[in-house]
Amino acid sequence: MSDLPDDMDPVDGLAADFALGALDREAHREAERSIARDPAFRAAVEGWQALLSPLAEGVAEVAPPPAVWERISAGIAPVAPNVAATSLGSPRASRAPFWSSLALWRGLAGGAVAFAAVAVAMLVARPQPAVQPLLVATLAAPDGAALLTATYDASRGAVILTPADKSKDDGRTPELWVIEDGSPPRSLGTIDVSVPGSHAIPPERLKGLKAGSTLAISLEPKGGSPTGAPTGPVVATGKLTGI
Amino acid sequence: MSGGGGLVILLDRAASGDAGAFKSLYDATSAKLFGVILRILHERGEAEDVLQEVYTTVWRKAAEFDAERASPITWMVTIARNRAIDRLRSRTSRPSAPLEEAAEVRDTRAPADELIDASTAAQRLHAALGSLDARHAEAIRSTYFEGLTYEALAAREGIPVGTLKSWVRRGLLRMRGELA
Repeated sequence: MSDLPDDMDPVDGLAADFALGALDREAHREAERSIARDPAFRAAVEGWQALLSPLAEGVAEVAPPPAVWERISAGIAPVAPNVAATSLGSPRASRAPFWSSLALWRGLAGGAVAFAAVAVAMLVARPQPAVQPLLVATLAAPDGAALLTATYDASRGAVILTPADKSKDDGRTPELWVIEDGSPPRSLGTIDVSVPGSHAIPPERLKGLKAGSTLAISLEPKGGSPTGAPTGPVVATGKLTGI
Repeated sequence: MSGGGGLVILLDRAASGDAGAFKSLYDATSAKLFGVILRILHERGEAEDVLQEVYTTVWRKAAEFDAERASPITWMVTIARNRAIDRLRSRTSRPSAPLEEAAEVRDTRAPADELIDASTAAQRLHAALGSLDARHAEAIRSTYFEGLTYEALAAREGIPVGTLKSWVRRGLLRMRGELA
């Protein structure tokens, strides 16, 4: 042991402390800032991380419950895993990069808007041979805060809703509307943001959705608007655009 | 945990938005990361939240992964430990784990049958740890696996912080020497 130094130089020591996770909160943050601006320090940290990470192999694996994946999946991309799987080999598969170019999904997830709940609304209709454009609308509150993103995939007959915020939950139910060419708002149904998962919008209601139409959300009594027209406040609107 | 090359490909495909590849990556690695997180946090619900955060981060940062600088599992374990430790530090006071749970997590030595399947890197690392002064090795294991600060661990073990720090650092230096 005498052929080894007894202590590290301070920078190497700090890098090791950081890699081990032994620093308190403030020192940890400070080290993170150093990593960002000091390549030499970052290299030292990465060296220790690489050295230590095989330790993790000794940790017993614990299978997480399936609900965790469901939450991750709902949060990262508007594709439920089963749909992603069935789309393999279809004309949609070659469009996979579309999801990565959808910066807004990631922006929503990581941005100022709390990603409180995600509901994915899907309905799988007969696949149509022609690849049709996807339509997307980000529905924002009057103050500009994104509340929900809606994507309409005509080739799959699916509308995917990703609510970004359920802080408005005050017992009323959000209801989604489409406003086309100056016609009165047409209901696409209520949106359940409390339960991540699937719910369907009847196909006949989706017919004719096109770029330029406006989507809107109003807050309605439980069960949806009693009159067939929005009765509560409109909390968000957004135009469908092709992507 | 083997097939690092496979994980590189999956990460690369996830970076280009391939949700199917990302699911495969999750299937291959989530039990390991969940184990790592759970060992630090003990509390299942919290560990599940962190696991979700970790994979959301992996998805968003997949394009930043650089195979030249780290292996996929090193990169992901680092994110997982970072998040878990962050969560641990943000607790106002750390709930103490129930005794039987604590006993379970205190045994940080990997069971022999797990080591049989472990990669060469892990075997070498465990060999290097095994060659250390037992107190040094235990100090390294405890900080790494439990995510405790030097202060917290020193208080628990009833030793001065300086002593603990010196054990850890000497142990690490020796390990690095052995592995070089």
